Amino acid sequence: MTAFSDDWLKSFQERVNADAEMQVIGDWLTTALSLTCGDRRCIVRFERGKLVEVVSSPRIDVRCAFGFRASPDIWSKFLSPHPEPLYHDFFAMLMRVPGFVLEGDTLIAMQHARALHRAMNLMRSVGQ
Amino acid sequence: MAQTEPIVGRYINLEFSGRSYRVYFEEAGRGIPLLCLHTAGADSRQYRHLLNDASVTNTYRVVAFDMPYHGRSNPPDGWWLQKYLLKSDEYMGFIRAVWAALDLTRPVVLGCSMGGAIVLKLAAEYQEELRGIVGLESSAYAPGRFNQYLHHPAIHGGELAASYTYGLCAPMSPEPSARENWWYYSQSGPGVYAGDVHYYSLDWDGRADIKRINTSLCRVSLLTGAYDYSCTPDMTREVAKSIPGSRMVIMDDMGHFPMIENYPVFREFLLAELEWMAL
Repeated sequence: MTAFSDDWLKSFQERVNADAEMQVIGDWLTTALSLTCGDRRCIVRFERGKLVEVVSSPRIDVRCAFGFRASPDIWSKFLSPHPEPLYHDFFAMLMRVPGFVLEGDTLIAMQHARALHRAMNLMRSVGQ
Repeated sequence: MAQTEPIVGRYINLEFSGRSYRVYFEEAGRGIPLLCLHTAGADSRQYRHLLNDASVTNTYRVVAFDMPYHGRSNPPDGWWLQKYLLKSDEYMGFIRAVWAALDLTRPVVLGCSMGGAIVLKLAAEYQEELRGIVGLESSAYAPGRFNQYLHHPAIHGGELAASYTYGLCAPMSPEPSARENWWYYSQSGPGVYAGDVHYYSLDWDGRADIKRINTSLCRVSLLTGAYDYSCTPDMTREVAKSIPGSRMVIMDDMGHFPMIENYPVFREFLLAELEWMAL
């Protein structure tokens, strides 16, 4: 399954919404973020820890607070079931992988650090 | 059946730099003093496996203390009138004060992360009074960890510090152990993790000092996890290059918190170094 394809995003949505931990920590996760992989961009919208909407190829009128952007190669390393050092965690990539970028309102991203971190790690269970 | 651990916790009251401190420490074992230094924003609970390991405590008197502001050690009187921003000299001086107050003779000092940095400074300044140092995740210069969000009124500091450091564990470390460290990290006081990182990433630069370490006086062991992205293996290799006679091991499948994230794997590396230190 190609990362960030419609099928992949649907699977990611199912993983997030079935996740027992997210049900514990997600109450305040109400925001939208973009995920950009090379030329492909989507926006995922959360409400109280549930991933309620996925917008592929969003137009100008789809808002989001922040997002993560990287090349397909960087995302592929992050999503690997056995990620190599520096690609095993989004905070690691923000510190050590210049091509992995947190864009938008970083304060909102860090306000949601715990649930966001969980959601990003669930991506790896979807595969690629 | 209930089981009591051999660890004993106590408090010591001491003076440092004209101020009084009430310091919590735990200890176990008899023999060569092994003084253990916790990581930034954490406390001595990180050493619970080591303190419970008879293979260590049969030879070593293991002592782990909480730095002021951390764990069960209080901040000094008047703490509300100054920002907590740790600096190298103050950090080294306080460790020295605990070491003296507990009357530890020629100890081995073991520290991780910011503790792994300051042991290098201790070795440079007090090498004739030390048996050796064990630096876990040791770097002589480690910029890049500080940011203003670590102490910000619109962010839950405990959850951010814990999440920010969780990925410093290796992906293959047992989840309950990594989560345990997450829990410890979620509990530091407001701005304490940030204040420690101030030392680690902004104040600390031991690149010149470490060249003065004479390993014929003070043995040096350096152990770093391959998945550590705060102190990368290359950063520790730089340290090792500057200290002729030092020993260095890069631990595969290990991150930044070996003593708590995966003790069963870590102890094999550690025991070899402690055996060498005891010779």
